[in-house]
Order: sequence, then structure tokens, then C-alpha cells
Amino acid sequence: MQESLEQPDESIGLRKLVLYRDVVFTEAGETPARPVQRASVAAVIRNPWVGSGPSTDLSMEQARIAPVLAKLLTDRLIASMGGADEIEAFGKAAIVGTTGEIEHAGALIHTPYFGNLVREFLQGESIICFADTRAEAGETLIVPLWHKTHAATRSHYQTISARVPDAPRADEIVVIAAASTGPRPHPRIGDRMTDPVVTTETLEAVPS
Amino acid sequence: MSVRKIVTVVEEIRAEGGREVTRPARVAVVAAVIENPWAGQGFVEDLGPGIDAHASDLGALLAPAVLDALGEPAEAYGKAAIVGLDGEIEHGSGLIHTLKFGDHFRKAANATTLLPAVEKRGPAGVVFDIPLKHITDATIRSHHQSFEVRISDAPHPNEIVIALAAAAQGRPQQRLAPLTTEQ
Repeated sequence: MQESLEQPDESIGLRKLVLYRDVVFTEAGETPARPVQRASVAAVIRNPWVGSGPSTDLSMEQARIAPVLAKLLTDRLIASMGGADEIEAFGKAAIVGTTGEIEHAGALIHTPYFGNLVREFLQGESIICFADTRAEAGETLIVPLWHKTHAATRSHYQTISARVPDAPRADEIVVIAAASTGPRPHPRIGDRMTDPVVTTETLEAVPS
Repeated sequence: MSVRKIVTVVEEIRAEGGREVTRPARVAVVAAVIENPWAGQGFVEDLGPGIDAHASDLGALLAPAVLDALGEPAEAYGKAAIVGLDGEIEHGSGLIHTLKFGDHFRKAANATTLLPAVEKRGPAGVVFDIPLKHITDATIRSHHQSFEVRISDAPHPNEIVIALAAAAQGRPQQRLAPLTTEQ
């Protein structure tokens, strides 16, 4: 059964939320054509599966907790960026503490209970790209982003780093949703439509 | 003043020590990554003209931004200057240790005390802790706290990160006796 989306703290063991946002005004000495905001929101929660073994069924807890996180994180992303309409690229990530399994992180971000809802709340269509790891508190995770409706749009391939100094503790999981309102500062590496055909045969020499 | 980017961090603590924090504890930081005004000039004896040119603008930029990010009245505050490897700590100190910078924050937050500060030199991605104290009485122990910040790609060797921090309350679960009960 899904927990209340209004008072989620107790039910999901929420310790803290951290928003990180940056806006680039100049890059390589020039102003980008479009001002772009990038942001990540991280929730630090208790790992509901600590102490359980690999035979434990993760489905009940993932269906209970992941939707709450999807709502909590996307609400803050949307508020930070001025509306879901403003968001063009998205990504997700999780860091599990050292007594958990990477499978626990996956259970919270790689199933429809998180991914489908994040996509719906952010009005996207693409598969959501991701990063996950197991680490001590303070690990920096590079969260990849790509276009929310056209994942192959090369101008929107970018990353944002996320880090919570005191999380995850060994028995916690940090779950992250991230977004950008536009492309990289000076995108100029072409796209699938403009690329020449590149194979070993079209090149005069392939470095070995 | 050349600003490369502005970074905002907002933390909201919901539980601490295993107990719910009844009113979520919020701390916000806004940092501007700027070009070091004295970069490439060798040893500049008189920093006054550079300070006059930039310190007030930085205060005017950051003070409303950090209060907006906090979204509540500030009860504690602090500041930071993190200088890239080619600069002097004196450059960062010059920009933040002047009333031209701090008064913007004091006025906006109805504050009266000195802003506690961290000044440091380091590479991009250096971790720094901003100290915060109460905005009208720096002896109020419940509000002594600090906030850790890291910006992956700043400061470059010729840059300075200038930041303001604001907290809407003291430490979560603060329960130390006030100073006066010990005297």
C-alpha cells in the first residue's frame, strides 16, 4: 500500500533533503546563448532492507517507498526550476551505504515505482539515465542527464555532481533526481542528423 | 565583475539523532564563482580600488539570493571566500571583510553581528565549511553551527568563490545550556 505523499518522513525514514543548483553565466569567457539552470535534489533515507540477505524480496518496500521519493524529489526540482515545462533534461541516481547492496539502490530508482513517476511528473518520455554506487558518506556521484523527450539529442548530454557530506551512513540510501533547463553552455559537436558516416572503412587510418 | 556561475545549496533536516525535527531545519548557501580581480597582476600593494569596485556588488548579489533560497527569516549567518591556487587569501579576505560587502546581508536580514567567515585557498572541488552564528547575538550557543560546501569545478586558479550562508534556526535538536547558566 502506498504511503501518504503529504507526511512521508516517518514512513520512509527520511533524514534530510539537499538541493544543489547552478546557473552558468560565462563559460570559457563567453556568455551561453541560453541561461541554463541545472539542479539535483537528494533525499537521505534509512535503507529498509538493512540486515536482510540476497534472497529477500524487495518488491513490497520498493512499491511503498519509491513513489513517495519520486513525488518528494520532483516537487522540489520543479519548484526550483520554475515549472516542469522549463525542464528539458533529466537523470537519476542512488548511493547505498556500505552495509547495503547495490541492488537496494536499484530497487528504489530502476523500477516503474520511481522511474515512471519521475518521467510523468517531469513531463518526459525518454528512459531516464542514471548512476549508482555503494560508498561511504560524502562520496561525490556524477549524475548523467539527457533530453527528457529525445534522449539522443547530443546537446543535452551533460552531468551534475551530487554530494551529501554526511550521507549515506552505512544503513542509509541517498536517492537523487536531477534536471537541467537546457543544453551544455556552448554545444557544438553536431548531432545524429549532421554526423558523417564513420566506420573503419571511411577513415583513412584508424589509430591502433 | 565577471561571474562564471552561481551555485545554490539548500539543506532541510527532517530527523536528527533518530528523532524527528519538529520544524524542518533549513540552511541555505549561495556562492558566486568570480574571476579574481587581481589575477595576473603580480603582487598588488593596494587592494582598495579592486575592493571598492566589487565588494558591494557581490554583497548586493548574494544577500537577497541566499534569503530567497532559505525561504524563511534568517536566524544565523556566515560567509566564505575561497581563493583559487594562483591568488592570495588576502584577495578573498579583501572582498568579504569590508562593510561594503557584509552590510547588504545585515540590512536584508535585520542583523547586527559580525559575519563569521572561512577564508581558504585551494583547488577546484575543495571542501570548505562555512561557520554560522546568530544574527543579533554571537554568544547564543544554540545557533553556533557550520555548513559544508563543495563545488566540483571551482575555484579555477584565477577565480574566487564568494559565498553567503543563512540558517532559519540553530542546530537541529539543540539542547545545550545557554551560556548564562554556567556563569
